[in-house]
Amino acid sequence: MNPVIASITLRQLLSRRRTILLLLLGGVLVLVALIYRLAGDGRDDLNFTSGLLDNLGLAALMPLVALLFATSALGSELEDGTAVFILAKPVSRWSILVTKLAVASGCSLVVTCIPIAVAGLIGAGGTGDGLVAGYTVAAAFGTVVYCALFLFLSLVTGRALIIGLGYVLIWEGVLSGLFAGTRTFSVRQYSLALADAVADVPSNVLDAALDLRTALVMAVVIACAVTFLAGRRLARIEIAGEAA
Amino acid sequence: MTQGDSPAEEAGKRATVALEAASRWYGNVVAVNEVSFQLDGGITGLLGPNGAGKSTILHMIAGFLAPSSGSVTVGGHPARGHVEMYRHVGLVPEREEVYPFLTGRGFVDANARLQGMPAAEAAAAAERAIGLVELEGAQDRPIGTYSKGMRQRAKVAAALVHEPPILLLDEPFNGMDPRQRLQMMGLLRRMAAEGRTILFSSHILEEVERLADQVLVIVAGRLAASGPFRDIRRLMTDRPHTFTIRSSDDRALAAALVTEPTIGSVSVSDGQLMVGTADFGAFSRRVAGVARRSDITLHELLPTDESLESVFSYLVRR
Repeated sequence: MNPVIASITLRQLLSRRRTILLLLLGGVLVLVALIYRLAGDGRDDLNFTSGLLDNLGLAALMPLVALLFATSALGSELEDGTAVFILAKPVSRWSILVTKLAVASGCSLVVTCIPIAVAGLIGAGGTGDGLVAGYTVAAAFGTVVYCALFLFLSLVTGRALIIGLGYVLIWEGVLSGLFAGTRTFSVRQYSLALADAVADVPSNVLDAALDLRTALVMAVVIACAVTFLAGRRLARIEIAGEAA
Repeated sequence: MTQGDSPAEEAGKRATVALEAASRWYGNVVAVNEVSFQLDGGITGLLGPNGAGKSTILHMIAGFLAPSSGSVTVGGHPARGHVEMYRHVGLVPEREEVYPFLTGRGFVDANARLQGMPAAEAAAAAERAIGLVELEGAQDRPIGTYSKGMRQRAKVAAALVHEPPILLLDEPFNGMDPRQRLQMMGLLRRMAAEGRTILFSSHILEEVERLADQVLVIVAGRLAASGPFRDIRRLMTDRPHTFTIRSSDDRALAAALVTEPTIGSVSVSDGQLMVGTADFGAFSRRVAGVARRSDITLHELLPTDESLESVFSYLVRR
């Protein structure tokens, strides 16, 4: 970790527009929970909360926040040329990468986990037999994996945002609903498996498609692999002076 | 500085910056073609038209681009894959973007701390560097509010905050007004006098003429000429010149000029007399005498192409 790069990255990521947009996204989650609490009959709290946290939290908020933060953490600097100022320094490329990943993950964790926890507490009218804790831990875990994945993506392509969005919407959103096999490569499914393991709720409320072991092993392997590849990529990255 | 010839390995090790038959291509496009030179102190101007490969050369020296063939070394080590090198190198990139949310002082200070200086030392170094580029008045404003010239000076301050022995500047005078330009030239001269090696690129002959001790002329990726500015200037003046002449009798004048030893070629086409000469000085002294002796009145004598591009392309063909 390099504190100077961390502080610059933090200020870059927390630009006013991006922060407001992401807080609004989290706000929607809390708002839906609030509306349910005020208008619902309270007979099906756990089912409702689980559906909300899965479909709006893990499937939408978590990947979108990670996507926006992780692709901007280093990708936007490479794009506008400011990366030169940190790359032309006696700072190891690994330290730059780890710092960027840590700051992107940290920002994403705050913006993702707090709304999920708050919406969960409101929707379930309490801790919901570990349901809220399960989803919050799962969101934290998934956020870090997503950040590693999207940061890597931003180093290998200038279209990281589009490709990342495609992965989240098409692969995880549509295909993993149709074909069970694709779930083995879905960060959302890894998170759900963890939520399922932490929460103490019946399977009609939360039933993950992957078993915990597979999910954890896959997630850790993928996160480590993409981080390693990102480090190698950053060490070899070329910055052209003029368009050629 | 030597050019072209293969220097002994010993010399290569001593040289601060050395390119040995360095080429760089992107797919089928050759951006830099077998360029060799060594720099050891002083101010060197990398002169050439836009897109000639100047930035590519600077980026290879800065370790941001690998040479496709040949070698680029800084202090005897390959420039690429060697982050410790940046303790000895300051780089001013051509691209303008600087973190807009940082103040000038914050930016220069961050650069000092990224060089590994402790906070107090970094603050002092930043203050000194900002003083050197005369940016004190604006140092507490966000860079996003800076003019182009101020941003340029902030970048220069950031590049020299750790007092590197090697300074690389890509089009450093872009966006500066004449006063800032003079001030920056003075600063670079002082830094060179302290024994630093300074390499800057420019497509403007005048900037190079005023600042550089040595000049490297880059055209279409090749090192077209190198040496002290005076020699380069002489090469440019002595190149073949072509003139178009309008006179009272073009054909008679053509006949008279053909006998002149300073004239290389004479042609009359489309009613226009064109004369080529290898000796610009002698020709301009003699042409009037030839016309007078033949009783011909000269109406107009125009050099056909004096643009810098034509000078550059001559140097390449040479």
